[in-house]
Amino acid sequence: MIEKKQLSEDKLLEKVTTTEYKYGFTTDIESDTIPKGLSEDVVRIISAKKNEPQWMLDYRLKAYKAWIEMEEPEWANVSYAKPNYQDIIYYSAPKQKPVLDSLDDLDPEMKKMFDKLGISINEQNKLANVAVDIVMDSVSVATSFKEKLGDLGIIFCSISDAIQDHPKLVKKYLGTVVPARDNFFSALNSAVFSDGSFCYIPKGIKCPMELSTYFRINEAGTGQFERTLLIADEGSQVSYLEGCTAPMRDENQLHAAVVELIAMDDADIKYSTVQNWYPGNAEGVGGVFNFVTKRGICYKNAKISWTQVETGSAVTWKYPSCILKGDNSIGEFFSVAVTNNFQQADTGTKMIHLGKNTKSTIIAKGISAGKSNGNYRGLVRIAKGATNSRNFSQCDSLLMGDKCGSHTFPYIEVKNNSSKIEHEATTSKIGEDQLFYCNQRGIGTEQAITLIVNGYCKDVLNQLPMEFAVEAQKLLEISLEGSVG
Amino acid sequence: MGLIENLKSYTEGINLSSDKKELLDSFLTKGFPSIKDEEWKYTSLRKVVKNDFKIDESSFDISENEIENYSLNLVDRILFVNGNLISKPSIKGVTISNFSEGNITNNTEMSSLNSALAKKGFTISVDKNIVVENPIEILFFTNSETDNFQQYRNQISVGENAEIKFVERIQNLNKSKCFVNHFTQINVAKNAKIEYNKIQNNTNNSTLIDTLNVFQESDTNCCVNTLIFGGELTRNNLNFEQNGTNCDSNMNGVSVLDDNQIADNHTFVDHKQAHCRSNEMYKGIYLGDSKGVFNGKIMVRQDAQKIDAFQSNNNLLLSETSTIDSKPQLEIYADDVKCSHGCTIGQLDEDALFYMRSRGIGVEEAKAVLTYAFASEAIENISVEEVKLLAQKLLAKKLNVDLDFSL
Repeated sequence: MIEKKQLSEDKLLEKVTTTEYKYGFTTDIESDTIPKGLSEDVVRIISAKKNEPQWMLDYRLKAYKAWIEMEEPEWANVSYAKPNYQDIIYYSAPKQKPVLDSLDDLDPEMKKMFDKLGISINEQNKLANVAVDIVMDSVSVATSFKEKLGDLGIIFCSISDAIQDHPKLVKKYLGTVVPARDNFFSALNSAVFSDGSFCYIPKGIKCPMELSTYFRINEAGTGQFERTLLIADEGSQVSYLEGCTAPMRDENQLHAAVVELIAMDDADIKYSTVQNWYPGNAEGVGGVFNFVTKRGICYKNAKISWTQVETGSAVTWKYPSCILKGDNSIGEFFSVAVTNNFQQADTGTKMIHLGKNTKSTIIAKGISAGKSNGNYRGLVRIAKGATNSRNFSQCDSLLMGDKCGSHTFPYIEVKNNSSKIEHEATTSKIGEDQLFYCNQRGIGTEQAITLIVNGYCKDVLNQLPMEFAVEAQKLLEISLEGSVG
Repeated sequence: MGLIENLKSYTEGINLSSDKKELLDSFLTKGFPSIKDEEWKYTSLRKVVKNDFKIDESSFDISENEIENYSLNLVDRILFVNGNLISKPSIKGVTISNFSEGNITNNTEMSSLNSALAKKGFTISVDKNIVVENPIEILFFTNSETDNFQQYRNQISVGENAEIKFVERIQNLNKSKCFVNHFTQINVAKNAKIEYNKIQNNTNNSTLIDTLNVFQESDTNCCVNTLIFGGELTRNNLNFEQNGTNCDSNMNGVSVLDDNQIADNHTFVDHKQAHCRSNEMYKGIYLGDSKGVFNGKIMVRQDAQKIDAFQSNNNLLLSETSTIDSKPQLEIYADDVKCSHGCTIGQLDEDALFYMRSRGIGVEEAKAVLTYAFASEAIENISVEEVKLLAQKLLAKKLNVDLDFSL
């Protein structure tokens, strides 16, 4: 009996390792790339190519100078061959000029690619509830619904356009939440970012549709460095989605993005990510290094909610954070991180409570299978002035297979005695009794696991906007197919 | 002169074996751990090591009265003055002797330093099948006219099927400052059982770095209870290594701090074999400007299936200026395990306080009763009755109430 079970486990394991990454195709699109390597000149070239004002170039150069003095951080519980920063192409843009007025004029080859990815731009046009900004190899190629949003005063465009058209806003907020010197990767990003999304919601406006950015790495040898800046002015409300995929390649591609959210008084931002970069093959070759800095700041009564479903990338290093500066502000973090094969993830959040009556909730669910390692690393800091602040954290890990690992590193720092903090973490595998219960009622083992995993992640998946929830659920199924513990 | 300079000039005058010289040199080049070290992130030794600590190992006389102030008056007592063993009980099957080099594993800077320079401490071995009923009290007294740095190095080996209990206390008798680097290694042979109680209630000019490493073989049970009530800075490194199956490692801790006291509990359980358990419960109560640190790590190795590991750290911040930094960690490489940790930080329940006050219980008393109830979960796990009573007494004293919780 045991032998039989062992056999079927092996079979299933084999099946997982052969389940292929379905977004791994490449597309032939002519692109404009600059030579490999990073130097002050490269920074100047990028800035010049984008026709940027002097202040922007100064900002980049300052960041570059800070970066060369910094060392790549090693504290995360992941091991990888450090990328050679001189062997990366820092700028690659699909050659497509002039700038399009409408999405209908998009390169047919590119359109096909997005159809393949399941983001039909035409469909988006008609279905009408999501405005998409598509970023390919760090350059924004298409933004839909610009006009309709414009009527409400909402600015939604690529960050390069924003630097040209709304320099005051960009200059005022860029780098205020994630300063260039913040860390190694944010400095690198600040120096070389080539594009990204910019969004501004004016006072009192409730954004009528989901805003979305779709990131795609296409060109080989490139790094993707995009920058997202989202400003929600007083009393406004917005829900933002982000999705990512990349082709299968044997090299490790670097993705170092920076996302900054600013929630002014009474504003509400919901930021959801479904990250599905190429995770590398079953032997752990290739895959994207995902080193991302995401941070938001909340002013009075504001709320920022991060939801992430992390299934891709060879190495993930990502801590979406909230600075709860204003009184009564709220920070939330909901995460499902799935690792399989040789993937490694070190992810979590930081909740910095500065204002009075600030609240934060952290729900992190980790699932590790194959030979992967998943880490939760989080910080809850209650500053001296954060009277009556409240935090609840829950991190659960599910292990599938005896070769994977799951780790929890929460940091809790409390300097105010009127605050209440609760933290709990558990690590376990899917209970045999749970499986037995399902089997007994005629549900096959594999289906039962899907059922249990879905139930386990429900708290997080429920937070996702509808369009994403379905995708995320499917993604979970694919990522874990056959990994019976 | 700071401690590092003093150590340098002290070691110039003595002859060290090459091994020890190596350990010392590696320590001197690195220096004392600083807040840049992840393990010392929240506790700074910078101020402490600036003191002009001298090494003083001279013996002194101590009166029975003085001892009684700090003793639990247990039948069997081992007595040290400035690290010199002056009296010990004779118990059948138990050999108690002075410091011996022995085979000791080093794992931190502080234990390397200890290993290089320590010449004082005890070596205890318990024979096979010996069950010692009475707990043994170990008292270390320090008394020196100058600010002094002490290093003790101790070993306990418990033979197969043996059972024993200890209560340890380190006490400074002088107004001058005292810094103790204390290191103990416990080896527990098959099916043996040991309970080690640490009472850390030193004067507020004392610093203690206490490292306790426990190595467990199959079917063993080891329980370490740490009670911190005093001392300017107390750091405990408590490490368990389970090298056999079916081991139990239990830890209970109660810290009650006030003024500027700092207490830092670092625990590490290394589950290397299958079918083992660990259970950890640390309670912290912080008054005044005190600061608490907790860092608990549970590691489950790949082959260690069927592990049950439980860890909880609960903290009460009772004053406006007290702080706590907590870092519970799980590192799990096996899948068939049940591991959990919980950490809470909060205050006394206002409703419970109101309930008691509405029934005529004064505010201080009501607070004390609730605080005791909070700590009692950990205190109840101590099996030595005298230690339990002392913990209750000290808690009442710290909370400034005249209550007998034992009722």
